[in-house]
Amino acid sequence: MYTTRQFTRSAVLLVTLIAVATTSARAFDGPDTSPAKEKELLAILRSDAPAAEKALACKHLAVHGSPAAVPDLAKLLPNPQLSSWARTSLEVIPGEAADQALLTASESLEGRLLVGMINSIGFRRNANAVESLTAKLQNSDADVASAAAVALGHIGNAAATKSLTAALATAPANVRSAVAEGCVLCAERLHSEGNAVAATKIYDQVRAADVPMQRIIEATRGAILARNQDGIPLLQEILQSTDKKLFQLALGTAREFPGSEIDKALAAELDNATPARAALIVQAMADRPDTVVLAAVVKAAGQGPTQVRISAIDALQRVGDDSCLSALLKIAVSDDADLATAAQQTLAVLPGQRVDAEIGVLLPTATGDTYKLLLQLVGQRRIDVVEDVLKALDHADQSVRSAALVALGETVSLGKLSVLVSQVIAPKHAEDAAIAQKALKAASVRMPDREACAAELAAALERSPSAAKSTLLEILSDVGGTKALQTLATAAKSSDDQLQDTSSRLLGKWNSVDAAPVLLDLAKTAPAEKYQVRALRGYIGVARKFAMPDKQRAEMCRNAINATRRPTERKLALDVLTLHPSVDGLKLAVNAMKVPTLKDDATAAALVIAQKVGGKGVDVSALMAAAGLDEVKLEIVKAQYGAGSTQKDVTAVLRKQARNTPVITLVSGSYNTSFGGDPSPGVVKQLSVEYRINGKDGKVSFPENALIILPMPK
Amino acid sequence: MSNQATQLPRRRFLQSTVSAVGAAAMAPMFIPSSALGRDGAVAPSERVVVAGIGIGRRGGYDLGCFLQQPDVQFVAVADIKKKRQGEVKKIIDDNYGNGDCVTYRDFRDVLGRSDIDAVLIATGPNWHATAAMTAAKAGKDMYCEKPVTKNISQSLILAETMRRTGRVFQAGTQRRNLPHFAFACELARTGKLGKLKKVYAHPAGMQAMMSGWLVPETEPAKDDVDWDMYLGPAAWRPYNKKLLDGFNFEKGGGFVGAFNGGGVLEWGSHCVDLCQWAVDDCLPPVEYNAPKDGELVARYENGTELIFREKGWIPLGSCPVRFEGEDGWVEAGDSGKMVLSSPELLAGRTVDEIGGYPATFHVRDFLDCVKTRRQPKGNADAACNAHIACHAANIALYLDRQVKYDNTTHRFINDEQANRLRSEALREPWRL
Repeated sequence: MYTTRQFTRSAVLLVTLIAVATTSARAFDGPDTSPAKEKELLAILRSDAPAAEKALACKHLAVHGSPAAVPDLAKLLPNPQLSSWARTSLEVIPGEAADQALLTASESLEGRLLVGMINSIGFRRNANAVESLTAKLQNSDADVASAAAVALGHIGNAAATKSLTAALATAPANVRSAVAEGCVLCAERLHSEGNAVAATKIYDQVRAADVPMQRIIEATRGAILARNQDGIPLLQEILQSTDKKLFQLALGTAREFPGSEIDKALAAELDNATPARAALIVQAMADRPDTVVLAAVVKAAGQGPTQVRISAIDALQRVGDDSCLSALLKIAVSDDADLATAAQQTLAVLPGQRVDAEIGVLLPTATGDTYKLLLQLVGQRRIDVVEDVLKALDHADQSVRSAALVALGETVSLGKLSVLVSQVIAPKHAEDAAIAQKALKAASVRMPDREACAAELAAALERSPSAAKSTLLEILSDVGGTKALQTLATAAKSSDDQLQDTSSRLLGKWNSVDAAPVLLDLAKTAPAEKYQVRALRGYIGVARKFAMPDKQRAEMCRNAINATRRPTERKLALDVLTLHPSVDGLKLAVNAMKVPTLKDDATAAALVIAQKVGGKGVDVSALMAAAGLDEVKLEIVKAQYGAGSTQKDVTAVLRKQARNTPVITLVSGSYNTSFGGDPSPGVVKQLSVEYRINGKDGKVSFPENALIILPMPK
Repeated sequence: MSNQATQLPRRRFLQSTVSAVGAAAMAPMFIPSSALGRDGAVAPSERVVVAGIGIGRRGGYDLGCFLQQPDVQFVAVADIKKKRQGEVKKIIDDNYGNGDCVTYRDFRDVLGRSDIDAVLIATGPNWHATAAMTAAKAGKDMYCEKPVTKNISQSLILAETMRRTGRVFQAGTQRRNLPHFAFACELARTGKLGKLKKVYAHPAGMQAMMSGWLVPETEPAKDDVDWDMYLGPAAWRPYNKKLLDGFNFEKGGGFVGAFNGGGVLEWGSHCVDLCQWAVDDCLPPVEYNAPKDGELVARYENGTELIFREKGWIPLGSCPVRFEGEDGWVEAGDSGKMVLSSPELLAGRTVDEIGGYPATFHVRDFLDCVKTRRQPKGNADAACNAHIACHAANIALYLDRQVKYDNTTHRFINDEQANRLRSEALREPWRL
């Protein structure tokens, strides 16, 4: 949001902007540029070098060029292709030579090129160009005249200002907007230099001129700010304007207006504005937190049209304090659902040092909806009044008990966690069980000492009935850490099938590498095969998901392959190796080729890994040769992609991607993307390839998006 | 400081955590819809009428966010590519079940329509600043994709233009409205990490990204692809299809010999922007050192360091940031996850509770501000400062030496070469 601080900065920025744009007549202010480099670049400009080289030379001259480079750069100004390249240098080369070059070119060029010269003159703020630019305000080309007007605005000296203000009344309609833009620039400069009176005069001239609404808006903003406190009536005037754009400007300008008088003016407007507008004015008031008339916002929150009240209640989230608490509590339990919801949302975050304490004081004696609301606020604001909240667990109203449980979930410390554990293991009211479980989870996962928390839950596990055991295991899984992991591992080996089921499922999705040894152990020793398979998949999932050294990942995949004879899981382990290609993984895949039931999958994996690793510059040829996977001479004879009679010739694409292995990796996993589009939308397609490996012909088809591994022809 | 989370001495968490108000600040706060007139069926007078300019890959995502808003009426699209005009029109028309979306080749025709309140600018980076300022002068509010500017001069002029014209500007830095990034920045800004020492941004490649002068190819018919308009304010070069990727064209900033500054600006406009937020949107760093060992270290006036770092990130997804204070640290990335030095910093919440990825938040923030005239999270001043930090870092990178920047004069101190890299001429007839 705009603040008065930013307004001040605005003026500063304008000055600095001038500094950024000004190079005219500025001396070099640091280490000089390189004469040798400049000479080299100028030689390019003077040669028959291609335009591309000259363009780049211009770019470098922006850094290395001195006034000596100006004549050669100037020769490029009439060139439509290189003109702006040259201007990039001329705009920043210090000294009058560059100014003069642009000015001279502006006397002979026309149309767009002339506009470019004028823009650069404006960028350099060449005060000597005012007369020339003033003449161009009369140019029959509206684009030229408009560029001249804005350039004069950037120059912004007395002469430029005089030309522009004079032109405001006389310029053609299609140039007048640019003239007004120039005038506003001049006025801003005057204002930033401390001449608010002169600035105001220009702003008012623009406001009175026949110019587009946006120019009026800019001038009006300036007119308000330049008048300082005397600008408040004008701001009020446009706040009441029937024009939506002007009203919007008032809302924005109010936020950046200095002082505190404007806050009173805004508060006064609340009574006069329509509800839709008052709702927006309240928001503007709240964006001035240092000087806002809080009483007016509180009043708007408490009475009047609903739309305004909701906006005011919302605004109190930013500017409210302890004094608003009572009023908001009343609204929050009122019959109007929209108002009540807005108040509840504000109460959850209401600023004020004593708000929490006040809620704590009110809680013990509250009744009905207010009691429930206060319990909710205790949870939302995390107010430490656990003893008072505990009393609500015996309340006859279930909704009150629920609110209390939620509040406890948000506020209990480890020492009081047992309260929630008890509610889960043996709830006083059966209907509270579900909310108690959520509360216990909420409390457990936020405990700073998760090991201590897990120990508490693990201890509770032993004395829990069967149904609650699963719940506690779920919560332990969410807590994580060493103790939780150990507890789940033990439960997974218990004699209770439900605990085995729950624990192995939770361990299978454990979210850290720590679970790997536990999962591998379970994969071998779990009481039932189905849980062994689940654990092994979880173990492979760890190898797949988490960052780890290549050696460690390969070792995990080796363990997985050795832990089972099931082809599905062994294939999953090989997939991990192809997903994270490494030399260690390649060695494992090559080794796995010796297992008859794995040979085909392991060979495919080895080829893919070798190609990916080789692509990073690692020489794996010896390893591949030892595995009998030597480099091959591959020729793609013909390749088609499509369905039925609709076939697209993709021979060229495959040839481009083919290397000296039977594996072809496309630029994308999607055939459609790799082959430049979908030849047969909505239909499953095939890729058919005729090829030759080491002189032997082969032919094969692949389903859409399959990995392309060409079989060795017999 | 280690990347590994370390256990700080435990205190009673209720005494040490963020206050309720502070904790709530992590979530984007929007004004109740009933206060702004967007409950249920929105009256035409309450709708924000929007048009799109250059809606491509990224813009298509933004467009989807806009179309989800009940108080938005998307009425037009401008694109120099005829094919894309039709594609985007179809998305919009399909959304509304009509054929009303009007297409234009020249975005100035969109800006000339008085019924349009705001524009979504999702052209290539080459156009962002020029289109944004042209739109502002035409009286339109705008949501503008990033990187927003190509150099320091443009950054300053952008902020000044938005202020002068009274327009609402939202840079497409949507991470400012993503809860976990907001939470991380809140920790840094409000002192929960202690005195802030270092903020880290991921530049995604500290090297130039070329958008050069390629071999000329036959220019398409102007109705199909308007090459002159595509180049717009960029210096002329011959048509080549490889350059016709607006998303990447001149993405790096376009000021060095290779024409572009690379990932420092592309990613920096996101993660440096977050670092700027973490330091409470103060003025940009005043000192930028030459890159060394994959790091470029910049220093703010108060001594806090902004470090562009290629490696060493916890794997939390793309565009990561890390904030280190005397008492703790937090690191967050695009996965929606965070890692913190202590769970106490979570104020009793979990990372999952804080995270979430409804990127419509950023669009919603913009639309609410169009109505209220507040400044959105990605406002022009914030964008200006973040982009200046990126451009200045790029200049240090290009010159391969330290540069010192004066935030008062907006000049590099005693450094002619660096100062000359603060701006670039726009191709005629474009101006800012």
